[in-house]
Amino acid sequence: MKVSRKALVGAAAGGLFAAAALAGDAGKIVIDGSTTVGPIAKAFAEHYMSRNPSVVITVSESGSGNGAKSLINAACDVATMSRPMKDSEKSSAQGAGVLPIENVVAMDGIALVVHPSNPAGSLTIEQIRGIYTGVTRNWKELGGPDLPIVVISRDTNSGTYESFETLVMAKQKMFEKVEYVGSNGAIRQRVMSTPAAIGYVGLAFMDGVKPVKVDGVEATPETVVSGEYPVARPLYMYTNGRTRKGTHLHEFIGLASSPEGRRIIEDVGFVPLKQAD
Amino acid sequence: MQLGTRRMLDRAFAGSGVMAIVLMGASLILLLAPVFVKGIGAVFFRGTVEHRRMVLEKFGRGDRASVGTEIAESSAARAPVYAAMKAFESELENAPAAERRVLSRNYREFKSALKELLGPIPGELRPMLMRDQYGQTRWDRARVKLQKTLYREEWDYSNPAAGGVRMLKPRALDFAGTALAPVFPLIERDAERMLLPRRTVYWRFLTDDSFDSHFFGGIRAEMTGTFYLAVGAMIFALPMALGAAVYLTEYTRGGWFVGFLRTCISTLAGVPSIVFGLFGLAFFINTVKVSDSKSVLAGSLTLALLILPTMIRAAEEAIRAVPSTYREAALSLGAGRWHTVWSVVLPAAMPGILTGTVISMGRAAGETAPIIFTAAVSVGRPLSILQTFNSASPALSWNIYNLATEHAAVDEIRHVQFGMVFVLVSLVLILNLAAMILRARIAGKMRA
Repeated sequence: MKVSRKALVGAAAGGLFAAAALAGDAGKIVIDGSTTVGPIAKAFAEHYMSRNPSVVITVSESGSGNGAKSLINAACDVATMSRPMKDSEKSSAQGAGVLPIENVVAMDGIALVVHPSNPAGSLTIEQIRGIYTGVTRNWKELGGPDLPIVVISRDTNSGTYESFETLVMAKQKMFEKVEYVGSNGAIRQRVMSTPAAIGYVGLAFMDGVKPVKVDGVEATPETVVSGEYPVARPLYMYTNGRTRKGTHLHEFIGLASSPEGRRIIEDVGFVPLKQAD
Repeated sequence: MQLGTRRMLDRAFAGSGVMAIVLMGASLILLLAPVFVKGIGAVFFRGTVEHRRMVLEKFGRGDRASVGTEIAESSAARAPVYAAMKAFESELENAPAAERRVLSRNYREFKSALKELLGPIPGELRPMLMRDQYGQTRWDRARVKLQKTLYREEWDYSNPAAGGVRMLKPRALDFAGTALAPVFPLIERDAERMLLPRRTVYWRFLTDDSFDSHFFGGIRAEMTGTFYLAVGAMIFALPMALGAAVYLTEYTRGGWFVGFLRTCISTLAGVPSIVFGLFGLAFFINTVKVSDSKSVLAGSLTLALLILPTMIRAAEEAIRAVPSTYREAALSLGAGRWHTVWSVVLPAAMPGILTGTVISMGRAAGETAPIIFTAAVSVGRPLSILQTFNSASPALSWNIYNLATEHAAVDEIRHVQFGMVFVLVSLVLILNLAAMILRARIAGKMRA
């Protein structure tokens, strides 16, 4: 009696494992990476899953750097990134037998945002650099109220941080009082609740905060498309190797250039790519 | 010391004790009251016709006929607004250029605010995102959007030394003298008729799928994820904890090695949970490869390690509390050591062990850090048991954090966030209560 029960439990466990192995990767897409690309990835995932009920898509937003690591460790199928992959990452990918392929999905501007009560309307790149390097410490110096500037930045794992560093900081280091937070949403909330704060976020994260003009140009999808807005960058989805036709992964990545996908990108607040021919 | 001083000291001590308890109670109320009040709002709220339309279209629930009547009713109330907008649009085309530019900018703002309030404008292309396909489903949110529709937020920066002052400008002034002007008093008066708010009890919040990253629907994926993680952690941890506890109490006679083991277990209990999380990623996923990416299985294993020390301790205590006369009686009847443990000691220790297990389950359900890297994702489906072996899942604890920090429009869905917090806190409370009741019951039975 006892033996048979044990055997039964064993068989059931074995069966479960076998079935799990069979269930395998048939319809599974794992997405990890940028918090900026998060809204696109999540909307795409829901859209795709509603069309293909058998597919399980999971989205994590842990930052571009972690997305790249995840792809290199073969722990995800799609690494969403808000910056291109670095050479160091590419070479460690090569070492791990992973071939990262770049797929641009959308364009984004990095908007400089302040609290709506802040009179600052326009800043030049130099002024912004001054704020982040600690040269300018008070809004008074920029014609605003007498308040010490609370400077918010993304953490160094973020692609937005790296893009910002390239496009604005010109190799200069941020000063020690800069506050680093872990996601676009966190910057938005920090700035929303702090009258003296300044931060930078992707275009889809501007609800409730006030974007300032950079070099006199407003951060809008139009100025990003036209190339007028100086702090713009593409958003990527990296895959391991080219996606094969007929796979769910191929279809999923292809969404970005489909009419439906482009409308989704536009509606969540980013700039879709030009229509594919 | 004089008697008077002693008495005074005594009283002071008792007084500070009472104070501490009162403070604790107050902070508990301060902490939990908003959670409960706001969390309940996820289930009990005034739902608009948009909510009922969404539930009917997405979940197929509700009375088609009565919802249809309601939709017709609300459309009738909305029709004059859309008619005035049509009239205004043609008026706009003939306006002089300078005036037209200002008007059309203001009109764009008004239109997007109105769309957020009432949903897409009839005749326009159906939006892709579900959040744009429906108006406000909750009356409390609708009131916020109503204000946005009627008033334009403007900041007065005339005093640069003090920072801007927020002002609300009625949009009606922007459109004075145009065909759109009568729309504003109309919306203000008839908003209820356009949205038909009604007391709604949305129990299915707990079991409905989420749509459009939590804008609509419920928290089913989080519920199942937390359930699998907690139960999985228990399944892995219980046998290990039992084995360790039996070994430590019944099979060893002390000595430096056992002391060392005990120290290790205590240390393990004090390790920060994020360390377990990183260990789980490095060991279960990257080294052992229990799954090729994050999965509920890897998360449960990590959580099992986290709760293991507490469970060992609880089981040890419970086993030690079994009177030694039980063991002696069993041994004197000729039972071997193993047989004694299995059929006498463990059953007698069961209440204590179960209590420890259930409380640990509560801990596993509430932990966030161990599952960040091993199991939790921000968007995913509710999984079947088979899928837990190699798929990640949302879970209550992690998604509360995710909504609070990463979601692009968290202000729109605070009720979902508080709903999740409410469910999680209640879950832990219920598990702890269950542990207490279980203990009392089994202990009662044992005595009888």
